[in-house]
Amino acid sequence: HCGRHNNNMASHGLTYDGCNFFRQRLVLSTLSGKRVKISNIRSKEDNPGLRDFEASFIRLLDKVTNGSRIEINQTGSVLFYQPGLLQGGSVEHDCNTQRSIGYYLEALLMLAPFMKTSLKATLRGVTNDPIDPTVDVLKSTALPLMKKFGIDGEGFDLKVVKRGMAPGGGGEVVFTCPVRRTIRPVQLMDPGKIKRIRGVAYSVRVSPQMANRIVESARGVLNQFIPDIYIYTDHMKGANSGKSPGFGLTLVAETLNGFFLSAEMSSTPQGQGDPMLPEDLGRNCAKLLLEEVHRGGCVDSSNQSLALLLMTLGQQDVSKVLLGPLSPYTIEFLRHIRDFFQIMFKVEVRKPLEDERKGGDKVLMTCVGVGYSNINKSLK
Amino acid sequence: MSTVKEQKRHQQKHSGPKAERKKLKKQGGTTDEDERKRNPKAFAVQSAVRMAKTFHRAQDIKTKKHHIPLVDRTPLEPPPVVIVVVGPPKVGKTTLIRCLIKNFTRQKLGDICGPVTIVSGKRRRLTFMECNNDINTMIDLAKVADLVLMLIDASFGFEMETFEFLNICQVHGFPRIMGVLTHLDSFKNNKTLRKTKKNLKHRFWTEVYQGAKLFYLSGMVYGEYQTQEVKNLGRFISVMKFRPLVWQTSHPYALVDRMEDLTDPESIRTDPKCDRTVSLYGYLRGTYLKNKCQVHIPGVGDFQVADVNFLPDPCSLPDAQKKRALNEKERLLYAPMAGVGGVVYDRDAVYIDLPANHVNQQQEVRPTTELVQSLIDTHATLDAKMAASKVSLFSGSATLDPTGIDEQSSLQEKHVWDPNTQRNRRKVVFAEEEEDDVSSTTDDEYGDSEQEEDEDKDNLSEFLKEARAKSEKSAKNVTYTPPVKRQKLEKRKEEGEEMLAFADSEDDLEMSEEEESKEEGEAARARDSGHCSEEDEEESDDEESENESVEEEDDADDTVKKQTESSVILFIILLFLSIGALQWKDGLQQKASEAFLRQQEAAPNLRKLIYGSEASDSEDEDKELGGLFRVSRPHNSTKFQANALDCSRFNPDTFHDWDLEEMLNSIRDCFVTGKWEEGQDAATLLKEDEELYGDFEDLETGEIHKGPTEQQDPQNDEDDEKEEAEESQMKVDDDEDQKNKRLEKKRRLKERFDAEYDDGDATYFDDLKEEMQKQAELNRTEFEDVDDETRVQYEGFRPGMYIRVEISSLPCEFVTNFDPHYPIILGGLASAEGNVGYLQMRLKKHRWHGRILKTRDPLILSLGWRRFQTIPLYHIEDHNGRHRLLKYTPQHMHCGASIWGPVTPQGTGFLAVQSLAGTKANFRIAATGVVLDLDKSVTVMKKLKLIGYPYKIFKNTCFVKGMFNTLLEVAKFEGASVRTVSGVRGQIKKALSTPLGAYRATFEDRLLMSDIVFLRSWYPVSVPQLYNPVTSLLLPVGQKDNWEGMRTLGQLKHDLGIRNNPNTDSLYKPLVRGQRRFNPLHIPKELQKALPFKSKPKQQQPKGKIPRDLQRPSVIREPHERKVAALLHALSTVHNHKRKKAHMVQHAKHKEFLQQKEKQEEAKLKRQKEARKKLYRVMGQMDQKKQRSSLKGSSQEN
Repeated sequence: HCGRHNNNMASHGLTYDGCNFFRQRLVLSTLSGKRVKISNIRSKEDNPGLRDFEASFIRLLDKVTNGSRIEINQTGSVLFYQPGLLQGGSVEHDCNTQRSIGYYLEALLMLAPFMKTSLKATLRGVTNDPIDPTVDVLKSTALPLMKKFGIDGEGFDLKVVKRGMAPGGGGEVVFTCPVRRTIRPVQLMDPGKIKRIRGVAYSVRVSPQMANRIVESARGVLNQFIPDIYIYTDHMKGANSGKSPGFGLTLVAETLNGFFLSAEMSSTPQGQGDPMLPEDLGRNCAKLLLEEVHRGGCVDSSNQSLALLLMTLGQQDVSKVLLGPLSPYTIEFLRHIRDFFQIMFKVEVRKPLEDERKGGDKVLMTCVGVGYSNINKSLK
Repeated sequence: MSTVKEQKRHQQKHSGPKAERKKLKKQGGTTDEDERKRNPKAFAVQSAVRMAKTFHRAQDIKTKKHHIPLVDRTPLEPPPVVIVVVGPPKVGKTTLIRCLIKNFTRQKLGDICGPVTIVSGKRRRLTFMECNNDINTMIDLAKVADLVLMLIDASFGFEMETFEFLNICQVHGFPRIMGVLTHLDSFKNNKTLRKTKKNLKHRFWTEVYQGAKLFYLSGMVYGEYQTQEVKNLGRFISVMKFRPLVWQTSHPYALVDRMEDLTDPESIRTDPKCDRTVSLYGYLRGTYLKNKCQVHIPGVGDFQVADVNFLPDPCSLPDAQKKRALNEKERLLYAPMAGVGGVVYDRDAVYIDLPANHVNQQQEVRPTTELVQSLIDTHATLDAKMAASKVSLFSGSATLDPTGIDEQSSLQEKHVWDPNTQRNRRKVVFAEEEEDDVSSTTDDEYGDSEQEEDEDKDNLSEFLKEARAKSEKSAKNVTYTPPVKRQKLEKRKEEGEEMLAFADSEDDLEMSEEEESKEEGEAARARDSGHCSEEDEEESDDEESENESVEEEDDADDTVKKQTESSVILFIILLFLSIGALQWKDGLQQKASEAFLRQQEAAPNLRKLIYGSEASDSEDEDKELGGLFRVSRPHNSTKFQANALDCSRFNPDTFHDWDLEEMLNSIRDCFVTGKWEEGQDAATLLKEDEELYGDFEDLETGEIHKGPTEQQDPQNDEDDEKEEAEESQMKVDDDEDQKNKRLEKKRRLKERFDAEYDDGDATYFDDLKEEMQKQAELNRTEFEDVDDETRVQYEGFRPGMYIRVEISSLPCEFVTNFDPHYPIILGGLASAEGNVGYLQMRLKKHRWHGRILKTRDPLILSLGWRRFQTIPLYHIEDHNGRHRLLKYTPQHMHCGASIWGPVTPQGTGFLAVQSLAGTKANFRIAATGVVLDLDKSVTVMKKLKLIGYPYKIFKNTCFVKGMFNTLLEVAKFEGASVRTVSGVRGQIKKALSTPLGAYRATFEDRLLMSDIVFLRSWYPVSVPQLYNPVTSLLLPVGQKDNWEGMRTLGQLKHDLGIRNNPNTDSLYKPLVRGQRRFNPLHIPKELQKALPFKSKPKQQQPKGKIPRDLQRPSVIREPHERKVAALLHALSTVHNHKRKKAHMVQHAKHKEFLQQKEKQEEAKLKRQKEARKKLYRVMGQMDQKKQRSSLKGSSQEN
């Protein structure tokens, strides 16, 4: 009778409904070791269950972990995930082309520092599409952000080998990341002023002139603010150009304190809606950057959740970060963090002063880390 | 009787250079500097290599002193120090605790069981805990101890328990250890006492560290230790500093000092073995504890925390006052398990502890005691009991009717038994009364926001709220109306919100928030899509109950409600109109959008938007309205949200038009080209620079630029100016900013001071230390001014708090077999530590443990908080990284061990015990080690040799059989290399069809039929998945040290009396040796030829058979002849006899003759000797004479 409770450990899982925030849940589950059950995935739709890109994501997760258990019911509307340990190492994955590599990479960025061995992931698929953050943006914003948390050093790199536009794909990126035992607490409170704007205007399987046209129009908007603008044109040819034509622009504003704000825009995928003029794209993208600057903060709006996660997983010290307005995705992420790690953030709104011309309200997020230590890294 | 040689005494010099030098030194003459100046050559660099070496060494020593700087996370009000008193039985542990408690609090405790907390000083509290000799207790307490008082019976010497405990401590981090020698009065001889002390001290030092404190308690006075000695010990304890231990600082934990069973008595009555809901109390230590986290109770198991609250400190430190000693009131003592502390206030109940003897003392106050007693041993629910009981206030007066009481008490609160949480809850009936209720402030069951509202809202606002709710309900009703109208309504609602964003009072804003959240309940629910915690359920319950109460009230005063409703609607419309007018007047889309944005994103209750909205999301989906209608809301929005596109992009705000100049201007200052802050503006900086470095000469032109004249302290000036500038700004800013500024100023001042007065060469280490200090400062200040209720949500419960942890579904044995003498530890687990997996560890058999350990023998491990039994596999790493299975642990070496067990961070130490019951082994700790790696699979390999025999041999090819059984098996090993015992290598080529499992192989040489072929292979071994936590606390009282888990094979056989049938070949039999026969020596002919004759074999052929033709026929004599022969024989015999006789005579004669001859010879020799002697004498004399004469002659010649 005594041994009744013994063999089941106390950890019991979490349950969720719907397929939204799918990656957050699986990533946090993997990091916290809590199992998760997601039900009613598109259960009311004509085509119920998981989509191909989600299945592909699960497969990628399975590749980087060891001993994880994934159960999916027949219709695919219920998913049970018991996380294993993050293995890392050399991983190759053909990402489903319904979503771009950014979709997969965002999750991988969160997991990579906590692997057993340093990760070298080769992801193939769509590098740039209008839905997800593109590989270029992640390279220029997420990586410097992670460096602030002490994840850097040799072999921390994201390389775009081949560019592949939606819908055909054919791109390839190599992401390498060293492992860390602990994450440093940060106080990112003062973003500083923007000192330069850089960008990449890329074009594949279209006229190389497209890129130049984009640059021209984007500069037209941004030159009102700062003269130090340089937008590289990146025209890939032949084998490196993927399967579909397209072009796009990513803009990154760097501040004096080494923070990066970004904006991006890709041409509409071939055969999906009206084609876009490169001039419009450049101008709109520049405006998006202005929007991003208006939001402000130390972290780019698409990386808010990454920053918050790394703060959560820091040592048991106070971390602070100044963000722009929280995106719905981030708000949900905060709730998930509370579910998985029981961490609540202190949210303070910083309103701009009367005569200040620094964009909208900022949010100062403060938390005490959980004192997470990488249990996957082996001690030898 | 000292045998030591008398040493020569020091003779002080009174003259000479040495004395001179000394005198000079005494006068303070030359210093080192002077020496250097006077004799520079002596201090010159003699050897660069040597100098480098000395420098290197100095640096090494300097760096060795450094520890990695850590952030100081000790709380401001630290929890009591845990002092564990250990020692073998009958050594005086209880006496020591009693004496110490008496020393600190002037109180005497009878039976000391469980932790005893006392206030020992103005800034220190102590918790004493006695550790019995059960190894379970020793292990558990070693993990939570801050200080160990290790009692040693000096009259006996060290006992094994002491060493066991020391080793346990070493594994689980080394707390401070102080030895205490007792029974010193049993020594009659002073010298032996001194000697024993010294011996014990040195042995203790080798175990702990050189110079570890060892305390002597010299003797007992009236059954207590001497007051002065105890006082000294107490002083030592109260000034002691403690080192942070890794495990303790990274995990929250509590040493439970109180336990209450909260289970519904009814469910216990129906099922005495039902799982119990228990609340445990204790000071939180280590680090922050999160609500709903997992805990491990060593000896019981893993549990999910149902609820945590913090309680007022039962043993609080005195208020800060400027006096040295504590007064009697402040010398608090708290030991609920020992029955001290009488009345205990819980969150929702009052417990009165009345031990049996206590009751006997106070018999005169029977009535009250009876009531209390009846409450104590209640077995029915409180409600039932209250209904049944009749209380008389004064003895002999009429009993009070329970209903009457109910009426009276109903004014304040109503107790409701909540079956979900298994405890009493107070349902609020009137808001005013609740305000009075002080205890409600500690109540965090309700969301604090609601609580706040409850607290500060007045009747009007409540009515307003209700009215709003009503109006909202009516709005919901309207949702049935055609879509056009609904849209309109929604629009109105939206605008209403907008309007409220302009409103000043925060109260209103909150309300709007709530309203919004209620209205958008479904949407919010979708956003939160299913939080699984019980909290939600509770909250929803609350919500429901609130709603009910509101409804009740509605029924009660209908008229008022209607009035207010109408008034509120009017109010809203008015506001709406005014806003509309405003908008229309301004006509600025910009402003409106900004307001909207602010309302949506930057409302003061952003926190509520993120976290607090689930209070509304758990609202029942279909609420009944007036018992008739069901509110049904469109589901599409929920579903859309829950199954929406998973994308992290934050789509831009449509209101921002970046073609407008206004918008562009709003972000101008974000760029370096924009306006800078006061302190950083280029113009001011330039000016400052001018002030600082104004005076300079242009070398090219020869011009001299003069700066401002007053330049005593340019840096100070600059700072002053800055400060002035700041001060001017301060007036504008609010208080917080001011405070920040002041802090900033202080920090800068300190920085400057540090820069000036520190040695200047700031190293990496110093920087790191600085950084850590800053972080510690931030950690302290960040949540300083937040009230505890909120702070707990952000940080979790911080160490030092007295917490109450509620755990449901504890096994009933925990309660029924509860023994306060055994410590209950609440060990918090990190997020992944609740899982099980494979652990790879480095293990070494303890050098004091008698036997080596066998693979697959179950072993009890103490790892992290847990104690559990598991089955380890021992292995060693080969040079190629392969883990080779070992059958036994090596004797004096580390080896690897793989187990199936709880996930524990790498680097955590563990110890292994073979059995917990009794003290069979002389040293119970079998092995120690450290966790290296965690994984979900293991790669331990076992060496496997497959053996086969050749059955057909060609040149280098050979057919081998007996290694495999089927064709398939061979196919798997095609190409594998094989080897023979003699070392001939080969390769498996191809399977043969017959016999089954045979194959063709080629070798580097020809095999013999007698060769054995073998194939070396590796076979992966699986680690048995046994994880069996030690549940020693669940055992009956008195048997808690008898836990027995899975037995080893050897133990099983021993217990069941099974003996193995030995291999008959291994049995000893009497030795029978057969006769040895040797073959004849054969020498080859060639060799024979070469041999010398002596060694040559002789031709000694045995006589061969005489051939027939050479054989002579035997002669048969005639009778006559026989007679003749006999006669001849007789004659010859006689003759022979005669001859023999003669010979003997002859022989004797000859002997005699020889003797005579010898005599003669002797005589002759004698004569000759004499003669020769004579001759020599003469010759010698002559020689002498001759010599003498010659000498004489020569002298004459001279």
